[in-house]
Amino acid sequence: MGKFLLLAFRNVFRNRRRTIMTLIMVGGGVAGLLLVGGFFARMFWGLREQTINDGLGHIQIFTAEHFNREEKHVLDTGIENWGQIAATVSTGGHVRGIAPRIEFNGMLSNGVKSGVFMGSAVDPVAESSLGFTPRLAAGRDLDTKQGGEIEALIGAGVAHSMNVKPGDGLTLLAVTADGALNGIDVEIVGVVNTGFKEMDDRYLRITLPSAQRLLQSDRVTNLVVGLDNTDNTDQVAARLAPQLNGLPQQLVLKKWIDLAAYYKQVRSLFSTIFVFLGAIVFFMVLMSSVNTLLMAMFERTREIGTMLAMGTPRSWIMALFVLEATLLGVLGAIVGVAGGNLIGFLLNHAGLHLPPPPGTTSPMLFQVLHVPSLMIGSSILVIVSLAMAAILPAIRASRLQIAEALAHV
Amino acid sequence: MNESSGLIQVEAVSRRFPLDHSYVNALDNVNLRVAAGEFLAIAGPSGSGKSTLLNLIGCIDKPTSGRILIDGVDTSTLTSAPMTALRRRKIGFVFQTFNLIPVFTAAENVEFPLLVQGIGARERRERVADALESVGLSARARHRPDLLSGGERQRVAVARAIVHRPALVLADEPTANLDTLNATQLIDLMRDLNQRLGLTFLFSTHDARLLEHTPRIVRLTDGRVTSDTHNAETPGAAIPPFQIPSEGASHGQISALSL
Ligand SMILES: Nc1ncnc2c1ncn2[C@@H]1O[C@H](COP(=O)(O)OP(=O)(O)OP(=O)(O)O)[C@@H](O)[C@H]1O
Ligand SMILES: [Mg+2]
Repeated sequence: MGKFLLLAFRNVFRNRRRTIMTLIMVGGGVAGLLLVGGFFARMFWGLREQTINDGLGHIQIFTAEHFNREEKHVLDTGIENWGQIAATVSTGGHVRGIAPRIEFNGMLSNGVKSGVFMGSAVDPVAESSLGFTPRLAAGRDLDTKQGGEIEALIGAGVAHSMNVKPGDGLTLLAVTADGALNGIDVEIVGVVNTGFKEMDDRYLRITLPSAQRLLQSDRVTNLVVGLDNTDNTDQVAARLAPQLNGLPQQLVLKKWIDLAAYYKQVRSLFSTIFVFLGAIVFFMVLMSSVNTLLMAMFERTREIGTMLAMGTPRSWIMALFVLEATLLGVLGAIVGVAGGNLIGFLLNHAGLHLPPPPGTTSPMLFQVLHVPSLMIGSSILVIVSLAMAAILPAIRASRLQIAEALAHV
Repeated sequence: MNESSGLIQVEAVSRRFPLDHSYVNALDNVNLRVAAGEFLAIAGPSGSGKSTLLNLIGCIDKPTSGRILIDGVDTSTLTSAPMTALRRRKIGFVFQTFNLIPVFTAAENVEFPLLVQGIGARERRERVADALESVGLSARARHRPDLLSGGERQRVAVARAIVHRPALVLADEPTANLDTLNATQLIDLMRDLNQRLGLTFLFSTHDARLLEHTPRIVRLTDGRVTSDTHNAETPGAAIPPFQIPSEGASHGQISALSL
């Protein structure tokens, strides 16, 4: 039905002014969705990388038991032979490094006042080799030098409530793996800002050897695996899973997305906003198009009457109107995708900055991503919207009384 | 084709239109027979029911009472689909306002009825060329209607009405939007096609000057047939289907009217 398509296509350009107005509206809707969606996508990407680089890593390895039960004694669900496992894991491709960590709790005291802490013990070399650097509000990061004072980083809230600053000392108390109470004196070398207040009020970080001494255990809670690229996460996870089987301890592997609760929250919030925007665009296009298409149909009443008189099936008339609107939608989508990408490109090169997002101090570079799935999705959205807008005019056109339509002036 | 019954049989047809709380009798008990190959004008003043009659014969309207047979088929019994098919195959329409599809070229407009009939591309091309040739517009095939004069547009419309070789061409006031010269030429063209191709033409007009070369003239007044005149001098008026005694409708009167 080449001629039929040609007829629809030419009809689209029949009323130039109206078609241009529709294209601007539809294209504007698509471009708007692309820009907002592209900005959100860039924001998700930024938050993802930030979350991973703040210490989440790409993959974390735990014992299966860690998720099955609470620890009776500290580290009794920890990984035993972690050095060997780390060696196995790091032999494969895409793995940049592995950082062992211990999570533990205890009490701290400045001599006059005490409080609880949530401790994290790390290997500072491994951490920094993966790019995980604590956000220091004061002081410096942990040092790995042997001997001397045991160093500690504390959260800003801890520093405030304990009234201590870098250079001051604290005493840590914790129960060892054997169930005995143990204590060590630490020197505060830095204060960190995690970006989460609840965290800052409890946070304490010491080196892995210090924690092992305090807890009297050589196990670790988990191993954090850093990759060369976030996009390789699934691939590496799939490779590692079988390697972790058949060890004396049953291990499980968590991808970053499984652990990034905040990221998922933000993402679902903004995704909801985006869906809402999409719905607005959909109904905006639908409403204004119904009107325009009805007007176009009304103006062509006599022509439709003529076609019907000549024996054109009514279904053809309906199809013609839906086809015309669909074509209009396709053109609008093309205009929108082209326009949206162009504006996005210009914005990306304008070097605009936004105020710092929560938990960070540096202003965010305004960038939008060019997301193909978004282009396809928003195109389909407006095309469907226009095709739906054509249904009412198409039905009306196909139901015209021929004699009346022919007498229409 | 059944010679005795004729191509068109209009039998006791009335058409009422509701108007306010009453109704208008646009046609009142009209009887008419048209044989295949006839060239017939329906004349009458404005509001006499010409369009109504042509619409009924063209199957785009239904009578309030009475029945119309086209080629022996009682159209009052047809549902909408076979009715559409009948129009598609047997009837060609020419309209007062030309009604060409503005985004189609002359050739594409002429092609449209063939498209609707599902005729293959090659045959379409040949038939369109023939039709345009027969209305003398081969040179204008690729022009859009807005580049054609009124007379040319109506000739394209005539080509469109005959391209699928219908049994019957209906033209409701085809000359009303044309100047006298073009109007005369158009009627001559239709008469020529009628004689050369044997096509049956029914056209309506209220312009008496156009009736000079018309072999048969049916006059309507207030929805009734008041005369059915056969002009003996004009060829093609061989078989008068039936004669209605008319109030002094004669050749002489037509000549007088056509001043
Ligand atoms: N759809 C309609 N609704 C109501 N009345 C109608 C309708 N169509 C026609 N009529 C009436 O029927 C009568 C005949 O109308 P018709 O259009 O057939 O006349 P006509 O001879 O074609 O006139 P004209 O030369 O002006 O075209 C007129 O009185 C007209 O007002
Ligand atoms: Mg009329």
